[in-house]
Amino acid sequence: MYNRSLHFIFINLVFTVLLSGFAVHASATSAESPAQKWITNEFQPSTLTIDEQIQEMDWFIEVSKPFQGMQIRVVSERITTHWYEASVLAKAFYEITGIHVVHELTGEDDVIKKLSAQIATQQNIYDAYINDSDLIGTHFRSNAVLPVSDFIKGEGASVTLPSLDLADFIGLKFTTGPDGKLYQLPDQQFANLYWYRHDWFNREDFKQRFKSRYGYELGVPQNWQAYEDIAAFFSEDIKEIDGQRIYGHMDYAKTDPSLGWRMSDAWLSMAGVGDTGLPNGLPVDEWGIRVEQCRPVGASVERGGALNSPAAIYAVDKFQYWLTKYAPAESTTLNFTQAGEWPAKGIIAQQIFWYTAFVANLTQPGLAVMNADGTPKWRVAPSPVGKYWQAGMKSGYQDTGAWTLLKNTPLKRQQAAWLYAQFVVSKTVSLKKTLVGLTPIRLSDIESDVMTERAPYLGGLVEFYRSRGRDIWTPTGTNVPDYPGLANYWWQYISQIIEGKVSTQEGMDNFATAVDNHLALISENTEMKCAPKLNPISSKTFWLNQNGAPKAINNNTAVGRTLPYLEAINVWK
Amino acid sequence: MFGSNKTRGENKIAVQCKNVLLRIFFRVFTIFLSVTICLFSSLMSAQNIHVITYEESPYAVMVGKTQKGLLVDMLKEMFARSGLQYELRFMPLKRAITTAEFKANHCVLPIVRSQEREANFQWVSPVLVSRYGLFSHQNQSIPLVTLSDAKDYKIGSFLGSGIGEYLMDLGFQVELTALSVQNIQKLKRGRFELWAAGLINARELMKKQGVTFVKPELVFYTSIRAMACNKNLSSEYVDKLTVALIAMYHDGYMDSLYREYGAIFE
Repeated sequence: MYNRSLHFIFINLVFTVLLSGFAVHASATSAESPAQKWITNEFQPSTLTIDEQIQEMDWFIEVSKPFQGMQIRVVSERITTHWYEASVLAKAFYEITGIHVVHELTGEDDVIKKLSAQIATQQNIYDAYINDSDLIGTHFRSNAVLPVSDFIKGEGASVTLPSLDLADFIGLKFTTGPDGKLYQLPDQQFANLYWYRHDWFNREDFKQRFKSRYGYELGVPQNWQAYEDIAAFFSEDIKEIDGQRIYGHMDYAKTDPSLGWRMSDAWLSMAGVGDTGLPNGLPVDEWGIRVEQCRPVGASVERGGALNSPAAIYAVDKFQYWLTKYAPAESTTLNFTQAGEWPAKGIIAQQIFWYTAFVANLTQPGLAVMNADGTPKWRVAPSPVGKYWQAGMKSGYQDTGAWTLLKNTPLKRQQAAWLYAQFVVSKTVSLKKTLVGLTPIRLSDIESDVMTERAPYLGGLVEFYRSRGRDIWTPTGTNVPDYPGLANYWWQYISQIIEGKVSTQEGMDNFATAVDNHLALISENTEMKCAPKLNPISSKTFWLNQNGAPKAINNNTAVGRTLPYLEAINVWK
Repeated sequence: MFGSNKTRGENKIAVQCKNVLLRIFFRVFTIFLSVTICLFSSLMSAQNIHVITYEESPYAVMVGKTQKGLLVDMLKEMFARSGLQYELRFMPLKRAITTAEFKANHCVLPIVRSQEREANFQWVSPVLVSRYGLFSHQNQSIPLVTLSDAKDYKIGSFLGSGIGEYLMDLGFQVELTALSVQNIQKLKRGRFELWAAGLINARELMKKQGVTFVKPELVFYTSIRAMACNKNLSSEYVDKLTVALIAMYHDGYMDSLYREYGAIFE
């Protein structure tokens, strides 16, 4: 999850959308059905043939008949992909099926608050939500979310698209609970990867200077030590390019919810805080929460968790050290949105934590980070990992925004919303949607020839999604039993460390205690499936001497290691 | 030795007297302490939470010297259920928000719980769920399927409502007025083609102005508003109020209240 005030992303898209709308009307002939019109003028390219697209749309037309005239209300965050859905696909769906969908856009934090409000108040505020799979641990325990897999077999069977092809979705494991049920249907997904200036890294003079100073090649960092060396190299050694001050690192740390997501979006996993296991470490995940047979038993080391473990202290210390030493001075006062504008300025050499939802935004012609031929000067690559990281652990964050139906929505409205949900992920429209928003969900789209042609213009995004990396960069998992309740602690406690009010150890101790207390509070809910049941307090030494997380302190100094770009992106093949 | 005995006897009496005095002193002290604790506790529980709102019909209005409206009734019930005392005042929205942010024991409602505000307050939510629509003049139909369809039109809204700012953020042409009621006249005079407003509030304003526009062309946004309380307010109070509020939704109180004010939630 990340700060979703991305209005600047889709300002350009607005015009594209309008133009495409005009194009549709201008070229439509009176003989064409609405479905044919949209297939011809908007839903190209597609992995389906035109005949297959028509067949798929015919199914929607037929099945939607009992729902014609209804108005359905859904909500999602504000990223390019959802803007396209709300503006273009909702209109197409209305013209093709007669079901009017109002697809509202807002910040992801607001989406969560609305979803929580609907559950708490039992008022049907929306008929469906596109909600991050970070909440899977909350959803499967809450008994408020209608599992998609149950719906498809039951009351949603008659309105489930025969060509939905669930096996084609790359993110299903992120939206599946420990009970094996699929709770949400993926709509879009993006990863958080390492971002760097490929052109600067390939300058012979820089390469020579770096090697003579650090003793190894300037390249894609494989560990945090190399990242730190490169940050120091650009911020303190190179300092200026063409008379402009440049920086070897960029981040943000304003006391704001986005600081929390900066951390909870798998920062600790990159350091190596949790255990091995995919999509999330078991028994201890990257939030430092230990589970025993699906029950969270604690986040503090004293209860077997790892939130205040030496590895977590290392992760937060590195974040703070790089921020203050190598990033622009303003970075400590910026939130996610404000910091997100910096890479496009052309003064940042690398960023360890960069959301690929920005690819569409950062490939706009004319930017300082774009070449004249439309290719980017930057690349994304697998992120470097910290010294506690071990093979078999997740390597970073990936978000899957997914369709979520609540049990308290009336059945007919659930069914109509489910039709729209399937429409916007159907093979008829998904490749076009992927090209607009660059948040792929279907393997068939990723492996298409169209994506091969686009790959050189997308800075490594296609290569990442064609690699095993798409399974190793993962969202928050099922160990977190109350995401909305626990997410706030991240920014509230981390900000105290950043502001210097407490030491890192004190701050993380306080944080871990707060999480333990919250787990104790929700453990009182006797109806909750896999409810927390806290371990008794033991000595830190007891737990640090066990295998796995929480891990004992590692005082070794890592040696920086880099790889050339092509080798780096092949690591996950 | 006798002398010693005498002395011992005298000492015994003195010790007994001392013990009696001590016992009396401790009893009096205990009573004093209990009374003090009771007084302090009752003072604490009687301490008013200062709640601030702003005029927005039918949610909160001043009729003469009487406070009326959906939120006024809701507050009365919520505080009664939570056993807390409060005092309700009206002031302009911006000043109300600043006051609640910087003054201990103050809360403001209803405001949008945005990410920017999240860290500055403690929250009791949701106090109000509102839908927003785009209204056109009755003589001019502007069919809208999606919000993007309104891109070519000039939209009027009310400064500080939040919805005008939301539309501007999305790149729409928005003209903001100081008072919501001015938008009705502007729409009538064709100064803009669409008026963005909360459905319930728009209905009230139109009723007051004797104007009837058609139904909104598109109901395009839903907001959830909350009560924002000063960060130093006891979290125990915030929890009590939240529990009371949620219970009011569950037992049908809120539904009845919405119906009473014709603000049926759809």
